[in-house]
Amino acid sequence: MNFMSDEAFRWSVTILTGGLAGTWLVYDTINLVRSRRADRRDPLVRDKRFGYVMGMLIGLVGIIGCLRFHGVM
Amino acid sequence: MSEAVIAAMTPSTSQRIVSPFNPANAVTASRFLTLPPFVWAVHNGHHQLATLFILVCGLLDKLDGLVAKVFDCRSAFGEIFDAITDGICYGFALLLVAYYGWAPWIPVLCVLALGIGNTTLRFVYAGRAGRTVNYKSYAMERVVAYTGYLVGFATSGMEVTFFYWLFVPIMGITVLHDAKRMLLDAVPGGGPAR
Repeated sequence: MNFMSDEAFRWSVTILTGGLAGTWLVYDTINLVRSRRADRRDPLVRDKRFGYVMGMLIGLVGIIGCLRFHGVM
Repeated sequence: MSEAVIAAMTPSTSQRIVSPFNPANAVTASRFLTLPPFVWAVHNGHHQLATLFILVCGLLDKLDGLVAKVFDCRSAFGEIFDAITDGICYGFALLLVAYYGWAPWIPVLCVLALGIGNTTLRFVYAGRAGRTVNYKSYAMERVVAYTGYLVGFATSGMEVTFFYWLFVPIMGITVLHDAKRMLLDAVPGGGPAR
């Protein structure tokens, strides 16, 4: 039971994944850059920066996955 | 994890008395309603519908934070309920897609083991804090969102092996980082650190 063609579905999940992953990568990169002057001895700042790095990593994985899905990589 | 989880960490909201029967928790609870149709779709091999149902489940996760903000009903119970609902919905969905052969078993079991370990750590942290509190982890918020996507990757058949196997080290590093913070570091907000 499909509500769209296979090709449309393929592109829909790509846009959902790649769109969020790309946005996330940019968003967390900006967050990381903005927090570079913050006091890194503060555990909360360290937590935030670690979270931003993991967010960037997840975003990158999402983008690479989308490219692989379409045979680019 | 939703904004309700983030915002409920502030002492002012966690100390306010909010009924557990509030609109935000109703939205959180409604996520369970997506599971029966999800099971039906997976059982009958309807990949697109299964993807749609898990997408709705994920969107409701985002919506409950917004509802909590609009109705001003953020609470410590709400954040814990949200985290538990995340675990049950995504954990169950992951097991289901693995059972039906849509996802590899080993990474799924690793993710579930890490998830259970992380939940246990949060209970230990709440014990150290001496109150109902959920440890706020910026990294784990992102990992939980990835978990929701993992189910979608399996239902849509999108680079399943790639995404599942890469997720294990990402979640493992995050759980290790959070374990150190929850077990060893001082509890913020003046809670007793044992």
